[in-house]
Amino acid sequence: MAKSDDGIRILQGLLVFGNVVIGMCGIALTAECIFFVSDPHGLYPLLEATENDDIYAAAWIGIFVGFAFFALSILGIVGAIKCNRTLLLVYIILMLITYAFEMASCITAATHRDFLTPNLFLKQMLERYHKLETVNNNDKWMTEGVTKTWDKLMLQNQCCGVWGPSDWQEYTSAFRITYNDADFPWPRNCCVMNAQGSPVNLDGCKLGVPGYYNSNGCYDAISGPMNTHAWGVAWFGFAILCWTFCVLLGTMFYWSRIEY
Amino acid sequence: HSRLRHPGARTMLPLLLLLLASAHGLKKLGYTPTLAKSPLGGLTTASTFVLEQPRCVFSKEQDDAVIWLVVAVPQAVANFNNSVEPGTAERAFQSFPTHNPAYMTLNTTILNYPCPKPPGEITVLRVGSETSCAENEMRPTCNGPLPGPGPYRVKFLALNSSGPVAETAWSDPITLKTAKPPSTIPTMESGHSAGMITLTSILSVLFAILLAGLVAMLVFWGSDAYGGSSTFSKPEAVTVRRYNTHHVYDQTAARL
Repeated sequence: MAKSDDGIRILQGLLVFGNVVIGMCGIALTAECIFFVSDPHGLYPLLEATENDDIYAAAWIGIFVGFAFFALSILGIVGAIKCNRTLLLVYIILMLITYAFEMASCITAATHRDFLTPNLFLKQMLERYHKLETVNNNDKWMTEGVTKTWDKLMLQNQCCGVWGPSDWQEYTSAFRITYNDADFPWPRNCCVMNAQGSPVNLDGCKLGVPGYYNSNGCYDAISGPMNTHAWGVAWFGFAILCWTFCVLLGTMFYWSRIEY
Repeated sequence: HSRLRHPGARTMLPLLLLLLASAHGLKKLGYTPTLAKSPLGGLTTASTFVLEQPRCVFSKEQDDAVIWLVVAVPQAVANFNNSVEPGTAERAFQSFPTHNPAYMTLNTTILNYPCPKPPGEITVLRVGSETSCAENEMRPTCNGPLPGPGPYRVKFLALNSSGPVAETAWSDPITLKTAKPPSTIPTMESGHSAGMITLTSILSVLFAILLAGLVAMLVFWGSDAYGGSSTFSKPEAVTVRRYNTHHVYDQTAARL
């Protein structure tokens, strides 16, 4: 009897510790998801135009789930210390609901990241960048978003197109309809710019002289932040859920050992 | 090339041709125009291409001549007439290639092609760079953007007041880029990554175990009403148990 008494006490201590960790991880998850939703790299318009921005939905769910984990962990600590069966039962059921939501968030983030391939962005860029004739307001909004984002991307990261300036030569595009090939073999933002924002050597840029135009593609600048976002939500959530699984199993066992 | 009956005519014909050529003073230079040698991103685009400048090709005797670039479709190369004046309707850019199979542009004197070529400098000619005069019939020598992907053949021709004085060989056919429509880009071929499958399967299994645990717990709760298994007593509750004296002794000793 003495032994099981000590054993249960150890379990109680472990549960309190487990819940403390869940609480802290919940806050970390909320903070991380708020960071991603704030879109520090300004890539959201590209996702919005693909009509597949579910990795943002996953981050939004993450914000609320993180806060829920924090609140429930406090309930768990109180329930474990007070050995109250009702509190612990409420804790277990609410935790399972939160668990389900977090699972949805992780799986969504992981699945939708797989849709965001270079070809998707290439096609979108060719079809929307500098497109002049828009069908409706939604189309206009998305086109403007894509154009502004690409202009900013190419300027800030010194890159051109998804794979390189050859994107503009290999494929026809909305850009090509407005700007002729001889004057604009690729957009002006692909040129190396001086401090005033104009090309250092426009003829060099049009010829494609190395050093006067950006010959590398922007895909790394897009996929880097997007991967961090999706994997950050998915795998951190996965880690929290694995830990929560252990804590919940312990709680269930502890619950069954309390007399009421 | 007709066969003449006279045996001596075999040598006569080339001699005649040579006489004709030298009479006109047209020197055939051994240089073949090529695309630029240095790595350029825009070497050929959909409507322009970049040629190496003909440095150290035209000799001193053509100093007063004007060097023109002739751009033609390959079919026009065989019967090309060097004597047609540039700037006429027959050599106008605006009616190329529908009404005339060749045009002449990029005229300059030899002073712009100094010899020797300074090392490290990129000496190129961009054919097709002038967009402002492409539709302007008043500018038949416009260096306008080429109307299609080609192929095209080019050569340099030096003319002075008395007519053509020197020409280079015709270049190899130059084909420009053809752009594909973006609808040909495949976007649906992505499968599911290994990470996503691992994550989904592990989480599903864990959730299933938790639900099973919850069900077991509730069933246990239901059956718990029939008799207590070993339960943990709360610290503040007073426990009343029936032991024999020997165990009570041990119990109290352990509690101290």
